Amino acid sequence: MDSILQAFMLVLDIKVLGVMLASALFGLFVGSIPGLTATMAAALLIPFTFFMEPVPAIAAIVTTVAMAIFAGDIPGALLRIPGTPASAAYCDEAYAMTRKGQAETALGVSLVCSAIGGILGSAVLAMTAPVLAEFAIKFSSFEYFWLACLGLSCAVVVSSGSTLKGFVSLLIGLFIATIGIDVTAGHPRFTFGSVEMMGGISFIPAMIGMFAISEVMRYVAAPGSQQAAPQQPIRNVFKGIGSILSRYKLNVARGGVIGAVVGILPGAGADIAAWIAFAMSKRFSREPEKFGTGHVEGLVDAGTANNAGVAGAWIPALVFGIPGDSITAIVIGVLYMKGMNPGPTVFMNQPELINAVFIVFFLANLALIPLGFLAIRLSRRILYVPRKVLIPIILMFCVVGSFAINNTVFGISVMLVMGVLAYVMESNGFPVAPTILGIVLGTMLESNFMSSMIKADGEFSGFFSRPIAATLGVIVILIWIIPLVRLLVKLVRKPQTA
Amino acid sequence: MYKKVMKSFGKSVIGGSIAALMLAGSMTSAMAAWPERPVTLIVPWSAGGGTDATGRMIGSLLEKELGQPFNVVNRTGGSGVVGHSAIANAKPDGYTVGVITVEIGMMHWAGLTELTGADYTPIALYNADASSLLVRADSPWESAQDLIDAVKADPGAHKSSGTGQGGIWHLALAGMLNSADISPDASPWVPSQGAAPGLQELVSEGVDIVTCSIVEASALVDAGKVKALALMNDVRLDAYPDVPTLKEDAGLDWQMAAWRGIGGPKDMPEEVVTTLTAALEKVWNSAEFQEFMNGRGFGLVWKSGDDFATWMSDSDASLGEVMQAVGMAK
Amino acid sequence: MQLNDAVTGLVLVIFALAEIAYSSTFPALHGQAYGPSLFPILIGCGLLACGLMLIARGLRERRSAGAENAPWLRWGDWAQDPAMRINMMLIPGSLIAYILLSDFIGFIPLCIVLLSLLLYRLGSSLGASVLYAVVVTIVLQLLFSRVLLVPLPGGITSALFR
Repeated sequence: MDSILQAFMLVLDIKVLGVMLASALFGLFVGSIPGLTATMAAALLIPFTFFMEPVPAIAAIVTTVAMAIFAGDIPGALLRIPGTPASAAYCDEAYAMTRKGQAETALGVSLVCSAIGGILGSAVLAMTAPVLAEFAIKFSSFEYFWLACLGLSCAVVVSSGSTLKGFVSLLIGLFIATIGIDVTAGHPRFTFGSVEMMGGISFIPAMIGMFAISEVMRYVAAPGSQQAAPQQPIRNVFKGIGSILSRYKLNVARGGVIGAVVGILPGAGADIAAWIAFAMSKRFSREPEKFGTGHVEGLVDAGTANNAGVAGAWIPALVFGIPGDSITAIVIGVLYMKGMNPGPTVFMNQPELINAVFIVFFLANLALIPLGFLAIRLSRRILYVPRKVLIPIILMFCVVGSFAINNTVFGISVMLVMGVLAYVMESNGFPVAPTILGIVLGTMLESNFMSSMIKADGEFSGFFSRPIAATLGVIVILIWIIPLVRLLVKLVRKPQTA
Repeated sequence: MYKKVMKSFGKSVIGGSIAALMLAGSMTSAMAAWPERPVTLIVPWSAGGGTDATGRMIGSLLEKELGQPFNVVNRTGGSGVVGHSAIANAKPDGYTVGVITVEIGMMHWAGLTELTGADYTPIALYNADASSLLVRADSPWESAQDLIDAVKADPGAHKSSGTGQGGIWHLALAGMLNSADISPDASPWVPSQGAAPGLQELVSEGVDIVTCSIVEASALVDAGKVKALALMNDVRLDAYPDVPTLKEDAGLDWQMAAWRGIGGPKDMPEEVVTTLTAALEKVWNSAEFQEFMNGRGFGLVWKSGDDFATWMSDSDASLGEVMQAVGMAK
Repeated sequence: MQLNDAVTGLVLVIFALAEIAYSSTFPALHGQAYGPSLFPILIGCGLLACGLMLIARGLRERRSAGAENAPWLRWGDWAQDPAMRINMMLIPGSLIAYILLSDFIGFIPLCIVLLSLLLYRLGSSLGASVLYAVVVTIVLQLLFSRVLLVPLPGGITSALFR
């Protein structure tokens, strides 16, 4: 108890709270600019944390990231440009709501869900960190391979329309992921001698291209078709959002659990959590046909999941120094610098500091609600700007955003090619979401498959030789086989009934 | 400093009119000595890793020293080729420099690029970390000799990891086996995307051996999940006095270290190199830098100018020799 | 731009065949049965299968009543209107211009020119276009290069701006 009291004293300091407020504004701002990720926001903070005490330094990063992950939803919902990769899963759904005039509902829901998800994740972090970390480091390449397969099966669920076209789209994404130096043998694939291509196709410019540039082209091809419907403001925030949340309280819980579990696993972060949560939401929804038309249900799941994942990633980082995602990789560096070397010992030797970190997590997610509403109110005005003015400005933002990720015009080329590709795909009924999922999961799928094959000396049985891997494998196979069996049964029965 | 950023952020949101005023105010015509505008510091590895952490530390300390921001830019991918090419191909005006890592002496042997250490203006070497030999804490092996005997007795049974195929830590293990007269294939290498995922494989019983710097494994060593058998260095480390060198343990002369230094494109102006080297030496000697490096367990080494160039060509030659011996060179 | 499924399918089949052919030239992994060519070839086979199914579907669609004369390729409405055709080309065109010229000309002048052009073409008045373009460019420059430390290309103007 003493250490918790001490922790409160450490956090409830005017300087710490000031740093948190400033970081919150910074995080909201960076997250809402396409091309700038939460990771980048954290990296930009590093030089400032050099000169801070441990608690404000950690508080700055925690707050910035929590805000940035939510803020990524804002341009996603308003302009169909996901601000961070974690928003990509439900960007289309939120944008569809905006076009129906429900921008504020969409953003309000995703804000409150982000906060709830963040708090759920923090609670998991604070209560079970050492135990869960033991579970997380049991995962080897066999388990990760099945996890990636599980993620891929989401592609079929999240794509609306023709299943065949969804598959094509997924395969295109997987192909794009193979470009660059291959992880297993170090051989350059499809690079045609270009050094830039050796690095592979950066995910962020590809994502901006597929969502934003294709949208710009659609407007230019048919201006006037796109002016958003008049927006209905939410008069009573708590009434509007509260009723939605109470209808979907199970979704909130499910999203939180998925987010925390996926987040804990090193190498699978908030963005993968959001995809899986969104797919689960559609799969188990009572009204799956409404997905894709601006239905709020998926937002509840995925919005909760990505913020819960952020806290989950800290668990292996704090306990074993293994980064759960790229943000915690930065955090580990800061922890070392502040003498809080990650490991079980820090929980015993410096409990007040660890507890202070947990308190900061709760505070940051609580502060998300008022600050987030402010951000929504301000950013909503963007919808009143006439499209003919807005579209060119969006284009330039995308240019600078895709440049910023690596500071090279190659990012802009990637954005252009992917944008044109997505435009052609969408005009022909090919969904783009599976392509993006393919790019996200392609490398994870391939590298873990290859590693597993080397470890098992080329024997497929290796994939079922460990308890967690076998369980995951059976789940994946069932998910894939059941629809096939159903289809076959239907085909066999058809002649008889006809 | 933080406030400064937030303040300028606030202003830029207020509107274009104020922004225009600020821009007008920021125009200058006077030419002063280098650096008169922000310098880009290219890091060829991703944010969060050791190279990135040291690069950012150096960047912020150089900013304090020289009064201009040193913006860290991560140019990742292609096993380091992309970032190293970006440094070598930058305009040699002193406004783009970068962190050069040990891989510069490996990539050209693997046939990935033509670049070598000779394509840079060497500024200074600031860090070198010896490879260590790591196994699970419950492993029956108590010394490097045990491990070598086990690999020799049962080739192919004990898998290893720590980085990608043909990466520096892969070379460390292959070279060690080679110097013990065992085929480098006797312990098949499982490629991973860096030391942390490799260590995860070790702890989850996916592989039996990991080679990487002891810094990267320190949390797991402290947690009692992983034990270090030996260090591929000529002396023991102060932070780990109980870990013997490979020479002490198994009588092998094999040594391998990953190193990092600052360099720029070829033909940088003489006065820029002088100013930068002096500033960097001050940074390296500063209490902040020493404390940071020691805190994380990074090895501190200092070699500037021609010494650094010699170091790079020596490293290049010995890496090439090993890569040829173990069949990784093209 | 709408393509008959058979055309899309054909494009996919050709792409998949080329991709498989090229992937099979990748060297095998040292001492392993599977190498860097495995995944690209699997993906290629998948695309090949999907492509063939799309061709079948497209042809079936054309055979169905009333669609015998359906075009293989239908451009959108924008292709009928010359002004819109230019606008449509202007989007990739301006991006390509930026990719090629930004390093030489620099962010500020190039961004002002491209933005003014796009705004004007999409229906803003000339004066308003230039005004918006200048304001947006300055905001972007300050935001990215000052606050977020992104080194936007200076080009010929780098001597003017620090």
